[in-house]
Amino acid sequence: MTRVCVDADRCEGHGRCYTLAPGIFDADEVGHAIVRIEKVSGELEAEAIDAEQNCPEGAITLSP
Amino acid sequence: MTEAEGYVDQAVAGVAEPQPMYKALRESTPVFRSPQAVVLSRLADIEMALKRTELFSSSMDAVDLGNIRPLIPLQIDPPEHAKYRRILDPLFTPREMARREPRVTELVNDMIDRFADRGECDFHEEFAVPLPCTVFLQLLGLPLEDLDQFLEWKDGVIRPEGDSGYDRSHENMAPAAQQIYDYFERAIDDHIASPRDDVLSSLIAARIEGEPLTREEILDICFLFLIAGLDTVTDSLDCFFVYLARHPEHRHQLIEQPDVLPSAIEELLRWETPVPGVIRVATEDVEVGGCPISKGERVSPLLGAANTDPAEFPDPDLVDFRRNPNRHRAFGGGPHRCLGSHLARMELRVALREFHRRIPDYEIKAGTELAYTAALRSVESLPLTFPVPAR
Repeated sequence: MTRVCVDADRCEGHGRCYTLAPGIFDADEVGHAIVRIEKVSGELEAEAIDAEQNCPEGAITLSP
Repeated sequence: MTEAEGYVDQAVAGVAEPQPMYKALRESTPVFRSPQAVVLSRLADIEMALKRTELFSSSMDAVDLGNIRPLIPLQIDPPEHAKYRRILDPLFTPREMARREPRVTELVNDMIDRFADRGECDFHEEFAVPLPCTVFLQLLGLPLEDLDQFLEWKDGVIRPEGDSGYDRSHENMAPAAQQIYDYFERAIDDHIASPRDDVLSSLIAARIEGEPLTREEILDICFLFLIAGLDTVTDSLDCFFVYLARHPEHRHQLIEQPDVLPSAIEELLRWETPVPGVIRVATEDVEVGGCPISKGERVSPLLGAANTDPAEFPDPDLVDFRRNPNRHRAFGGGPHRCLGSHLARMELRVALREFHRRIPDYEIKAGTELAYTAALRSVESLPLTFPVPAR
């Protein structure tokens, strides 16, 4: 299982994560990222890696 | 004149293929003092400058567009900046943009209808310019017949006569700027009298800690929208369609693999970087990459150079519509990340999808020499020819 975390101070609302991984991330009312599912594995884990690697602000961290 | 200076002159004058210039700058003089600004071309430095707004301010001292007060939110730095973004960001989320997508799709098709049977068009004049402007008028709730007037004002402050690139004089822009303020004064009155489902009505209704925005604040937001929302999507459409006209294999991929469209748009944004750089001003004496920068000097993070930096992008000169990851900075980054990025993405997605559905094959008219405009990358004219689609 991988733990997904968004640093709200770094997120600027690019929206890449909830576009690429809508199963894990969602937008709050201003379009900043929120995590819907904190622990992921399998296909969702691959999605989470995609999102983490595409965040222009480096705001997403994945940890075991 | 050094080689790097020559390259920066090219950038100011407008250049068809800026990527070799980015590479040369990054490799020879990654922090380059040009007469107009200290140009940053390494991704790490650019990212730092975009994030550290306390050192590199986006205030009115950075860019003069003839405005008499700071444009909101671009020319307001954190922490005050956040209070405006808190009310503006919700108006431009991907979800809010998706709500407007059907109307934009209809508009795009209406525009294609006007030239599809002709077998040729000036893509710039007949599509890339009117599309974002019409979307803007719809979004703000302004009469569509004001289109031509808007285009004139926009060019009056972005490309004032007698000016080129960074070398701008306030006097050349001030008359157009004043007309923009006057127009929006009237539009605000009209929307106060009859509120509706549009962005201007939302601004009038917005509350920050219980207080409405002042009239001046609303004007300063509208002025920014006009500057930021029209030209940039025109630039993107021009750049993208020139690329796709010249690279049929990429164009065919869009048609044969429609699912690639969203990531193709990200890749075209990376490669073309239609807004090649932004401007900041140093708030204190500071050093970047061993180069001293004095308080008050202008600094230009070159987004196009960040987007082709091999430190981030393997094989940066390869245009791969399935590139992943693609952490491009075409919309900037840090607190001033482009507010309209999701609007731009929606417009580009609809335009590319509908245009290629109706006109999959096209060429730049033989004998055309493309002239790119200064600073923001549009072309002055883009004549396309194509087979007339069967009815």
